[in-house]
Amino acid sequence: MECDRKLRELIDRSFAEKISESERQIIHDHIRDCDGCKRYVELTARTIRGLREFTFRSEADSSVRVLEILAHHTEATRQHNVQFRIWAAFAVALLMSIVGSALVYHLARFLAAPMHFENAQVQAGVLVFWLLPSFCAALCLLAAPRENRGIA
Amino acid sequence: MTAETETAKIARGLRERDKQLLADLVERYQHRLVRYLLYLTGRREYAEDLAQETWVRVLQRGSQYNGRQQFDPWLFAIARNLAIDYLRKKLKVVQTASLPNDPDAMLLLPTSGPSPFEAAARSEDAIRLAGQLQILSPLYREVLLLRFQEELSLPEIAQVLGAPLTTVTSRIYRGLAELRSALEEGDSYGV
Repeated sequence: MECDRKLRELIDRSFAEKISESERQIIHDHIRDCDGCKRYVELTARTIRGLREFTFRSEADSSVRVLEILAHHTEATRQHNVQFRIWAAFAVALLMSIVGSALVYHLARFLAAPMHFENAQVQAGVLVFWLLPSFCAALCLLAAPRENRGIA
Repeated sequence: MTAETETAKIARGLRERDKQLLADLVERYQHRLVRYLLYLTGRREYAEDLAQETWVRVLQRGSQYNGRQQFDPWLFAIARNLAIDYLRKKLKVVQTASLPNDPDAMLLLPTSGPSPFEAAARSEDAIRLAGQLQILSPLYREVLLLRFQEELSLPEIAQVLGAPLTTVTSRIYRGLAELRSALEEGDSYGV
C-alpha cells in the first residue's frame, strides 16, 4: 500500500520535532492497519537509535592540550597588551608634552609682560623646564624594566 | 534577587576570561565538539585541530557571547565557520581550480582517508549506518548529529547553520531517508 506522502512527512516530523497529541494519534491509528508505515516508523526509530550508538573517544590528553594552548595564548595576549599599553602611554605622554609646550610657547607673550621678562626668555624657559623633562619622562617609559612600568 | 542563569554565568566568565570557567567548559564540551567536527569534516585529524582552534576563538571572542541564548549553538557555530575556512585554505593549497563561493559547498568537497564512523560503531545497525554515513553529505550528517545526538532544537540548529528552519528540517528528513534506506537494504540482503 502506497501511503499518503503527508502521513510519511508527519512520521518524519514526529521524530525530529514535537507534534501534537492529535497528530500522534493519527500516526498511531494509521500504523495499526498499515504494515508499510509501521515498517517505516520502525526503520526510522532504528536509524536514530543507531546514530546514537556511535561512540567517539577524543584523545585522552585532548582537553589537557587545549588548556595548555589556552594558557599559552592568554599569556601571549597579556604580553602583547602590556607592550601596546606602554607604547600608547609613550604616545600620550609625547603628545601632551608637545601640545602643552606649544600652547605655553604661544601664551608666553601674555605671561612675559606681567612677569617683567622678555618673550624669548619665557619661551626658552618653557623649552628647558617643560618640553625637555616631559620628553625625557616619556622616553623613560620605554627604557624602564618591564616590572617597573607602573603607569602601563 | 534571582540567581544568575547558567548562560549568564558563562557569558560573564568569558568576558572576564575566567580560567576556571574555561577549564570547565573545555572539560564539558571538548568531546562533543570533536564529535561534531568529525561529523562535519569526516576526518579525525581535522576534528582535533579544529577543536583546539575553536577554543582559542572562544577565548578571543568570548565577550561576543551575550548569555541570552544557549552556549552549545554558539560554540558549534564558531566551530562550523572555522571548519569551512580551514577546508577552504587546505583546498586552495592543493588545487588551482576556483573554489565554490557558497560556504556550505566547501563541506561537500570530497575527503579521503579511513572512515572514523566504522571505528565508532557499537551495534549492528550502527555498523550498517557507518558506511552510509561516510558517503552521506556532511550537510546531512551535521544536522542529524545536532538533532539526535546533541539534542539541539530545530531553531538552535538553524542558528548554528545560519540557515532557515525549512532548510534544517529538509536536511534532517533527507539525511534520515538515506540512512533508512541503508538499513532497509541491509535487512533485505540479510546482512
